[in-house]
Amino acid sequence: MRRLYLLATALFWLLVAGFWLASLWLPTAGVPVAAVAEQRISQTELAQHAESGDCWMAIRGSVYDVSAYLPDHPSRPEMVLPWCGKEATEVYNTKTKGRPHSHNADELLVKYRIGTLIPAKQ
Amino acid sequence: MSLLRTLSLLLIILAAPAGLMVWAFPQGLSLARTLGIAVGWMGCGLLLASLLLMLRETWLARWLGGLERMYRWHHRAGVAAYVLLLFHPLFLAADALPNAPLSAWQVLSPFSQGLPVWLGWLSMLLLMAGLATTFQARIPYRLWRWLHVGLGLAVLLGLVHLVLLGIEEPVLPILGLALMLLGWRVVRGDLGLAARPYVVQSAEQVAQDMVEISLTPLAGAVALRPGQFVLVAFFAGPTFRGCGEFHPFTVSWVGASHQFRIGVKALGDCTRHLQSIEAGVKARVHGGFGDFLADRPTGPQLWIAGGIGITPFLGVLREEAIQHPVTLFYFYRAESDAAFLQELRNLADGHGQLSLRALVTGNAAPDLASLLPDAQGLAGQECYLCGPPPMIATLKKLFHERGLAPRHVHFEDFGFR
Repeated sequence: MRRLYLLATALFWLLVAGFWLASLWLPTAGVPVAAVAEQRISQTELAQHAESGDCWMAIRGSVYDVSAYLPDHPSRPEMVLPWCGKEATEVYNTKTKGRPHSHNADELLVKYRIGTLIPAKQ
Repeated sequence: MSLLRTLSLLLIILAAPAGLMVWAFPQGLSLARTLGIAVGWMGCGLLLASLLLMLRETWLARWLGGLERMYRWHHRAGVAAYVLLLFHPLFLAADALPNAPLSAWQVLSPFSQGLPVWLGWLSMLLLMAGLATTFQARIPYRLWRWLHVGLGLAVLLGLVHLVLLGIEEPVLPILGLALMLLGWRVVRGDLGLAARPYVVQSAEQVAQDMVEISLTPLAGAVALRPGQFVLVAFFAGPTFRGCGEFHPFTVSWVGASHQFRIGVKALGDCTRHLQSIEAGVKARVHGGFGDFLADRPTGPQLWIAGGIGITPFLGVLREEAIQHPVTLFYFYRAESDAAFLQELRNLADGHGQLSLRALVTGNAAPDLASLLPDAQGLAGQECYLCGPPPMIATLKKLFHERGLAPRHVHFEDFGFR
């Protein structure tokens, strides 16, 4: 047991160091963006993409096609799927006890941006 | 040990991680991400099993094959959980590695993540530090105990890490269960709610650095047999102040009015202090545990004791007139360490079935190979061993080499903490 503990702990720190060095030295391949063209998206069109395989969300005035990312989201699908096809800024900003998503999540989200949400008429 | 008791503990160890993994097994994810999630849930299940195995309840110990076995598997399950949980963040990060090494590092690094990942890291580091101390037998018990508390905290922080990630189901029930198990252990075990109040009736020095303490119940007595062990915490007396910690001691005698005696050897700070205990000291007693010398089969038996390991054998000899031939080897370092020797000689003189071989070893390990019976002499013998762990290990190896099946070798090891 002692040997297993020492071996696993040493391997863990070696791999952590490996991840860090890889982030410094290895190039990052181009990440496919869901859509290239900027478009203005209405509330009606947004609402038509409300399924797990076709999931758009409006966050802070932009619309994101997060269909490809959903399987990788840390929380269970039931937490995220209800917000497909909807304005999700509030829930994005208050995901855990009122705290917003991390800066890392913000950076990740940009990759899925497909356009701007046309504000609802007052 | 019955098959049911053997299997019940292993079933718990296997069912907890397997159940959680099956329940939460992800569908449609990449291999690395699937593995990351699977090992996380398996580690979580093993930690829950480990928490269950640290409970000190006589009925649970009976079901699961004894407290010592439970503690052994508590430790193994904890280490296995730790190893699985180490790979949880590594697999999650590996998912992004082929295309985006920076993203892979950002998954791992708490500096680019929020509170949930910080808590995950804190939990991991507490597990790492707490487990490191379990392999250090020389750490003083009191310090070790507090460092061990960090492991319980690590479990809770790991579960909060999941809740903050939005995985409330089934984590909230698991968090509740973990809190219940930790609270159960603290209240029933460490604070002594499961223990009964006793008072020290007398204490007699029986060897150098060894005292035999007699205890009388103040209320309901615990159910005990000689040869079992109890967990006892000593508190205040007229002039004595005990350390108030529960330590295991072997019962060397049980009286008709439920009073009993234990042998206490000065092996640590607390037990050294107990050498000067006095009558009137309050104590709490939890037990009895163990079935070392219970249900012995008929036929000739070989009993081997090293130092304070003589206590369970003495307890049985004081209780009953043995019905089958018993050869008792009693090894001790010096004459001044030979506790109960004269009483054992008197018992051997009175019992035709008991043959006593008392041997001074000095500071060197005894040459057990030449002292003990050969393969022919061991055939048909049931062997019972109690003594320091190196002696037990040597004897187990020796008996194996001499063709004695493991089911005929029974041993008691009080090395658990």
